Amino acid sequence: MGLLFCFLGAISFGLLGTSLKAAERSKADAAGLVVAAYAWPALLMLVRTLLLKPGGHVPAKVYVIAVTFGICAAVASLAFQVSISIGKVTVGWLTMNLSAGIPVIVSVWMYHEKLTVLKISALGLVLLSICFLFWGQVAERRAIARNPAQGG
Amino acid sequence: MWFLLMLVILLTNGMSAFGLKMIAAWGLPQTVKYPYLTAWYAGGLAVIALPSLLKGMRVGKKELFWGAVAGALSIGGQIAMAVALSSGVPGHVVFPVAIGGSIFVVALAGRVIFGERMNLPTALGVALGFIAVVLVGVS
Repeated sequence: MGLLFCFLGAISFGLLGTSLKAAERSKADAAGLVVAAYAWPALLMLVRTLLLKPGGHVPAKVYVIAVTFGICAAVASLAFQVSISIGKVTVGWLTMNLSAGIPVIVSVWMYHEKLTVLKISALGLVLLSICFLFWGQVAERRAIARNPAQGG
Repeated sequence: MWFLLMLVILLTNGMSAFGLKMIAAWGLPQTVKYPYLTAWYAGGLAVIALPSLLKGMRVGKKELFWGAVAGALSIGGQIAMAVALSSGVPGHVVFPVAIGGSIFVVALAGRVIFGERMNLPTALGVALGFIAVVLVGVS
């Protein structure tokens, strides 16, 4: 039963990437889409916060961290939405997921987490994958420059 | 432009969820995640909305519709992962399956629905990236 939900999660996230490409194809404004995509959950979370029992103190540093990383997420979402209008959705989506390697590095540095062989291998593959994706993009640009008909 | 966007995505998206790890390390009560997420979404909303409004951003029916679809699918994915975890499936299985699987779904849709073709280096990059994401999830 649990595994079924793993696959449902995969389908749900996959359809999320697909729907963002569909939005781009339907000429939805990238910034407007990100704003709408953040407004709905912001409203939901605000309602949920207001329903909490009063009296719980939230340290100011929590808000500082939240706003900082929320800005990071929104900038990434906008960059993704713009990138799929000039590049492939698969590559953009993969890059979004490859970025999971960055917090692994930060965790090792900040929380002194153990750098295992598995983590080193994963990070090595992340780097290798990025190199291939960039190489692919350069090759595609050159092919389009030689034969502009391929660019459509 | 594309390379810059990829660099921005790499540096910002990965760090976006790191705050939850930081507040977990501070040992605050579980309920703190609600005001945290409110501020998280509000911060993101403000940083895109304010400059975009000055540039004449459109938030019409199309944007609201696709924004709601994206939000619902995102929440759906999170709930499915949470249910999988709470039903005893270990995290090193849940995260690689959910994240790796989503890349497969997007790649399939990219090819079948949007007609995207990949050259050899890009296809190799996607294949290696798929393995890398699964390994990051397992580790």
